[in-house]
Amino acid sequence: MSAILQVTELRKSYAGVHALDGISLAVEAGSITGLIGPNGSGKSTAIDCISGFQKLDSGKVVLAGNDITGQPAHHIARSGLMRTFQTVRIYERLSLRDNLAIAAQQFDSATWIDEFLRTRRYRQAVDKAEVRARELVELIGLKRYWEIETGILSYGQKKLVALAAALMPHPKIVVLDEPVAGVNPTRIREIEVALAALNRAGETFLIVEHNVEFITNLCHRVIVLDQGKKLAEGTAAEIHTDARVLEAYLGMTPEMAEAEMRGAA
Amino acid sequence: MKLAIALLAALAFAALPLMTSSNYIIGVGISALIFTVAAAALNLIYGFTGLLSFAQLGFWGIGGYVTALTVVTFGGNFWWGVLWAALVNAVVALAIGYPTLRTNRHAFVIMTLTFALLVTLIARDWVDLTRGPLGIPNLPKPSAFGYHFATTAQYYWVAWAFSVAMLGFLYALCSSRIGRTLVAIKQNEPLVRAQGIAPMPYKLSAFAISAAVTGAAGGVFTFHLGIIDPLFLDFYYMQTFLIIVIIGGAGSFWGVVAAGIALSALPEVLRFSADFRMIIYGVILVVAMFVMPTGVAGWLRERQIARMREQLR
Repeated sequence: MSAILQVTELRKSYAGVHALDGISLAVEAGSITGLIGPNGSGKSTAIDCISGFQKLDSGKVVLAGNDITGQPAHHIARSGLMRTFQTVRIYERLSLRDNLAIAAQQFDSATWIDEFLRTRRYRQAVDKAEVRARELVELIGLKRYWEIETGILSYGQKKLVALAAALMPHPKIVVLDEPVAGVNPTRIREIEVALAALNRAGETFLIVEHNVEFITNLCHRVIVLDQGKKLAEGTAAEIHTDARVLEAYLGMTPEMAEAEMRGAA
Repeated sequence: MKLAIALLAALAFAALPLMTSSNYIIGVGISALIFTVAAAALNLIYGFTGLLSFAQLGFWGIGGYVTALTVVTFGGNFWWGVLWAALVNAVVALAIGYPTLRTNRHAFVIMTLTFALLVTLIARDWVDLTRGPLGIPNLPKPSAFGYHFATTAQYYWVAWAFSVAMLGFLYALCSSRIGRTLVAIKQNEPLVRAQGIAPMPYKLSAFAISAAVTGAAGGVFTFHLGIIDPLFLDFYYMQTFLIIVIIGGAGSFWGVVAAGIALSALPEVLRFSADFRMIIYGVILVVAMFVMPTGVAGWLRERQIARMREQLR
């Protein structure tokens, strides 16, 4: 079993409404897995439950062999699952450099005493994180904003900062909640290239996204949710021809989809 | 650079009793030093961590009473009294912080306010311990290594050494990675959690340290006054600390220190017009808030950001 993240029979309901109705999914190590579905299908709830930001009613979440079900968010992060948020979350009043440094600080061995006295162990940890941060800044193309407060960046750039921060501590898996929503098309293409490069370097991603083209280009496997249930799973091409998916998500019949594919080709 | 200026300023302050023989001016100097420390402690929990704590007034009062009682009732000396003030406050802060920090920020404000009022009640009504409204008068000035800090000028050195030590400690803390983490918690707590950092130990420690420093400051100030009674818990003190933090710029260490010195001196400078001085003081505060809603430090910072934006164009 090479699944780095194994989710079994996830259930969550709000006041009798089943947001998640027994969802199971697996993410292979080294893969990019897409999670799509119409609004309200349970995507965000699913990743909130997986990452510990919401309590789940029942089910099991296993990360790299460790059962992380129901643990608090910061424990799950320390186990190696980093996530971003749909409404972009960064430290707007801190520099890009500090944003990235904070993202890695829980993962080094410096204690509070090291931090207060600025011991050698602390300085080494900081230097190491700085090297990583500079690599990632290079990758997301925001090098000239290194010392600048991230609050002045554009929305798309902030999404890139959040992505870089999630990558800082070399996590086992990165969960991205709508990484390209509200980002302009050229930038989307850049993010796509960057993610593909990171994936080739060994990073594992689980991506929630509405942009079908982005998902199709990037993902090895796609999981489709609808009304809290898993509707379909397969490669992007398989999903594209699945009648149930087309109806639920794209609102199209298979013939329309085929016509569109021909048009695109 | 900033540190060099701070060091020079600290030395200049040390020389105050050599420059004047007026007990009144030296007394204002002591107030300025102690209020600055208490404001810097409030800045740690409010400016950095984003938790508005009215409990500072309670810690200030507990610190004053613990120090006075250590000397008068329990036969200890002043230095032990200040140490006890810090310790007792840290324990009290942990005890009330542990449940209240689990609530949201608004509930935290209300609970800390209630705590401050409760301490006031205890000071007034637990007559057996605190002597109630009579207070504890004639607090003896401390001595160390055979030297007796008897006069106001001599006691000024105690206040000075205490303030420099406390501000140095708070600066080391606020400028460290711990301080940056507190700022991160204030700005975006869910993100902090998503990055593997548990906010609770940070918030609780900041609250306890802030309480300990405020309590010790209260202890030192009580012995300057020479008496402690329930008026030591007057809301005037809380208001002063809060004004210093807000005008200086919540979250800016040096902004608050500068404002602490300036605003402690300002009402005294305005004494030329005895009738109107508090009105003028109020007007200056209101105008300052209009011009610089994020404090002096916030205003400087916004100008800096504006320059950065220009450069990026």
